Amino acid sequence: MGATTYLFASSMPTEAQELAQGLRRRDPDLFDRLIEQYHYRLFRYLLYLTGSRETAEDLFQETWIRVLERGHQYNVKWKFEAWLFTIARHLTIDWMRKKPAGATLDLDEAGDEARPAAGWASAGSGAGSPFDLAAGREESERVRTALGQLPAAFREVLLLRFQEDLALEEIAAVTAAPLSTVKSRLYRGLDALRATMEESKP
Amino acid sequence: MNTSDHHRAERLIAEGRIEGLAPAERQWLDAHLEGCAACDAFARSTAQAIDSLRSISVEVDSELVRRTRLLVSFRRRELERQGSWLLPVWVCCGLSWVMGIATAPLAWRGFEWLGRHAGLPKLAWEGGFVLWWTLPALVTVLVLAAAFRRREAL
Repeated sequence: MGATTYLFASSMPTEAQELAQGLRRRDPDLFDRLIEQYHYRLFRYLLYLTGSRETAEDLFQETWIRVLERGHQYNVKWKFEAWLFTIARHLTIDWMRKKPAGATLDLDEAGDEARPAAGWASAGSGAGSPFDLAAGREESERVRTALGQLPAAFREVLLLRFQEDLALEEIAAVTAAPLSTVKSRLYRGLDALRATMEESKP
Repeated sequence: MNTSDHHRAERLIAEGRIEGLAPAERQWLDAHLEGCAACDAFARSTAQAIDSLRSISVEVDSELVRRTRLLVSFRRRELERQGSWLLPVWVCCGLSWVMGIATAPLAWRGFEWLGRHAGLPKLAWEGGFVLWWTLPALVTVLVLAAAFRRREAL
């Protein structure tokens, strides 16, 4: 089954239909709620894709403008976040194309571009003892470094699967890649991440 | 325990995390891990890598959400204005289409009469009739395209 034709079963069809209607009407309250609800996940995804806080913020805003303009295209069979990430990814690819010569054109082929960089922090930051904080930062740095050593295509599927908890079919739709490719990237990416983190253990 | 068992265990460890395992496979893997320290360590390091991945978080500028809401609200008003500007155009198009259909037989006879009295060949007055139909639409499209371009430039 092709990724683009895969139909995502919505757990609450009525809710999805209400969402679709709200998007079509450009309901201001709905948009406020969606921005609040998904801002963290969307920004994290964009920050990972671009590796730049400033660019991620610009693309974050552009993504929501695009959601507003294309709300009528939202399909209730899709999970909203999968559609949102797809839009964000397309905008990121457009941004990469507009970058000066030498920049990568395709996330699937991106190597050193779009490495996760500034703006990442440990989930534990802001809480716990100084020791916990230091350990958290160290661990976060270790993951960030390990992720940075992976090809962008592997990083993307790993983050979509384990951070965003998207289903394999949803990842295939977001990345416009066949399901078999997504699986292969996940297996290879997870193996590489595990090995790199093992090597970097203190 | 042979090498293929270890390979199978490593494959199932990853598969369990990525796709999920069937109960029989889960049972086999659990039994294997109990008796194999190396594969157990492999399973723990895989779990740790995933947990670390999940632990990564980002700091989001608190102003970003407010700015985005404002921008979305501004764009919504802009789109509504555009929509209200287009409504009369669509109404005119619809009326023009209805009138065009209703008056087509009259226009055809009119062109035929003119062509006969002016001594024009049939092809000429038929061409005139086609232009009578298409020219207004073409002019409208050109005017709208120019208006859209001007709006985009602004």
